[in-house]
Amino acid sequence: MATREIISTGNELAAIAAVDAGCMFFGGYPLTPSSEVMHVISDLLPAKGGVAIQMEDEIAGICCVIGAAMSGVRALTATSGPGMSLKAENLGLAQMAEVPLVCVNVMRGGPSTGLPTRVSQGDISQSKNPSHGDYKSITLCAGSLAECYTEVVRAFNIADRFMQPVIVLLDETIGHMHGKAELPTLEEVEAGIKPRKTFDGPAEEYFPYQCEHDEPAVLNPMFKGYRYHFTGLHHDKNGFPTEEIETCRKLIQRLEDKVELHKDEIESYEEFMMDDAEIMIVAYGSVSLAAKEAIRHLRADGIKAGLFRPITIWPSPAEKIKEYTDKIEKVLVVELNIGQFHSEVQRAAARLDIDGLFKVNGRPLSPHEIVTKVKEL
Amino acid sequence: MAKTLMRFTGVGGQGVLLAGEIFAAAKIKTGGYGLKTATYTSQVRGGPTVVDIQLDDEEIYYPYANDGEIGFMLSVADKSYQLFKDGVQVGGTIVVDPNLVHPSDEDRKKWKIYEIPIITIAKEEVGNVITQSVVALAIANTMMNAIDKEVLIETMLSKVPAKVHEVNKTAYELGEKYAKEAMAAAK
Repeated sequence: MATREIISTGNELAAIAAVDAGCMFFGGYPLTPSSEVMHVISDLLPAKGGVAIQMEDEIAGICCVIGAAMSGVRALTATSGPGMSLKAENLGLAQMAEVPLVCVNVMRGGPSTGLPTRVSQGDISQSKNPSHGDYKSITLCAGSLAECYTEVVRAFNIADRFMQPVIVLLDETIGHMHGKAELPTLEEVEAGIKPRKTFDGPAEEYFPYQCEHDEPAVLNPMFKGYRYHFTGLHHDKNGFPTEEIETCRKLIQRLEDKVELHKDEIESYEEFMMDDAEIMIVAYGSVSLAAKEAIRHLRADGIKAGLFRPITIWPSPAEKIKEYTDKIEKVLVVELNIGQFHSEVQRAAARLDIDGLFKVNGRPLSPHEIVTKVKEL
Repeated sequence: MAKTLMRFTGVGGQGVLLAGEIFAAAKIKTGGYGLKTATYTSQVRGGPTVVDIQLDDEEIYYPYANDGEIGFMLSVADKSYQLFKDGVQVGGTIVVDPNLVHPSDEDRKKWKIYEIPIITIAKEEVGNVITQSVVALAIANTMMNAIDKEVLIETMLSKVPAKVHEVNKTAYELGEKYAKEAMAAAK
């Protein structure tokens, strides 16, 4: 397969990916450590006839992205944890009204304004349920510079397939590190673009929310002659508010099932030296880089360690995790929070003896710390 | 070539980031792997900044330099020097601007410390203080012999506006000259 090489940062690659994936709108508010996504896309989009706009705050940033997406274009916003907190309500609206968009979250220390320039992975739990109510969040997590590109591309295709927001998690380390990324060619990316479904029958027969129990809504672009109502309230097939018992039940169940019953289309993970592993490290994002280097050292010392790295964080690759935890006794989850994915591994494994190595002071976890911890297991 | 680990430290706004990007890009150009990571504080200007540069022929996973393994550090701010010096391996090389950084006698026993007035060279001899990052780049490359000089200069020029190419070439040559003099004097 042909590839191309770009020397850049994770944030810049995320912006380039969005444009290559056909994104025509960016709305947001610059927030450390995600600001470069906005800086770069502000240069790229106008040159392609797209729009990049700095709004007055994070809330307006996500709202204009929802509007742009309803007009039919692919749309992106980017932020960090504090911005996710502000965007939460409208991420819920996009879940409920089934508006596809991509939200890049470059994680920094939290809670609140936390540690603005420091690395963290504290938004794992938040990304599962940023807003209240029942829905099935889709969250992808880049573990290399190349994935800052490929996961953003994948996020756009998944958003259009499932008609809902897709969160792409980067972290400060991966967003700002600068190096080489081997990427698919532009032709390959463009050939892989799968636009959202549209309805092209008679306008009077168009019911956007009348769909199979496990399928997303079909939202035609606005201003093209197809009318529907848009609301965060429970709604009927036309989108008008309703409290009809079965309609309400079916709607929320469908939001769950459209993702849950098609998880296989979203699931993604990496297995690194897992073939003969006697110790499994679970890590994602920038921490997986430290884990890989740690495994190099451990293997040199004759310790058979391997890495399982979820790329799709939500829904988690729970079955695959269980497959490994059923046969591997020593499991260590390494993350820059106090066990947010650790509890998911415990759940998937149905085991309470999963070990953890956590750090929350804004500093990265070093390979040395992982090696030391593994040797203590 | 074995793995080269370098660390540039200063305070926010001095432009130490660019030198790291140039090193990484130049190494990649020659077919290897290069990674630059920067750590800075919320205090964008004036806060301690550290840039780690890793150059290797093999794929690099962990993007930060492991403390105790760094072979070369350059510092143009005392608070950053004090914060980050312990990452340098014993016997490693440290270049400081003597007008701004004040190593102790103990430090001088632990590391090979060279004093080169980087900021003054950029300001007075090159005539543009912003070129300090290129002076630093030249010093680091001359002392570490990390990258082919021509490739490094070519990469550097591709990252700065055309109107300042000449002044940056001068900055590089001066940095190289001072580095060679410092090394010769220490022998």
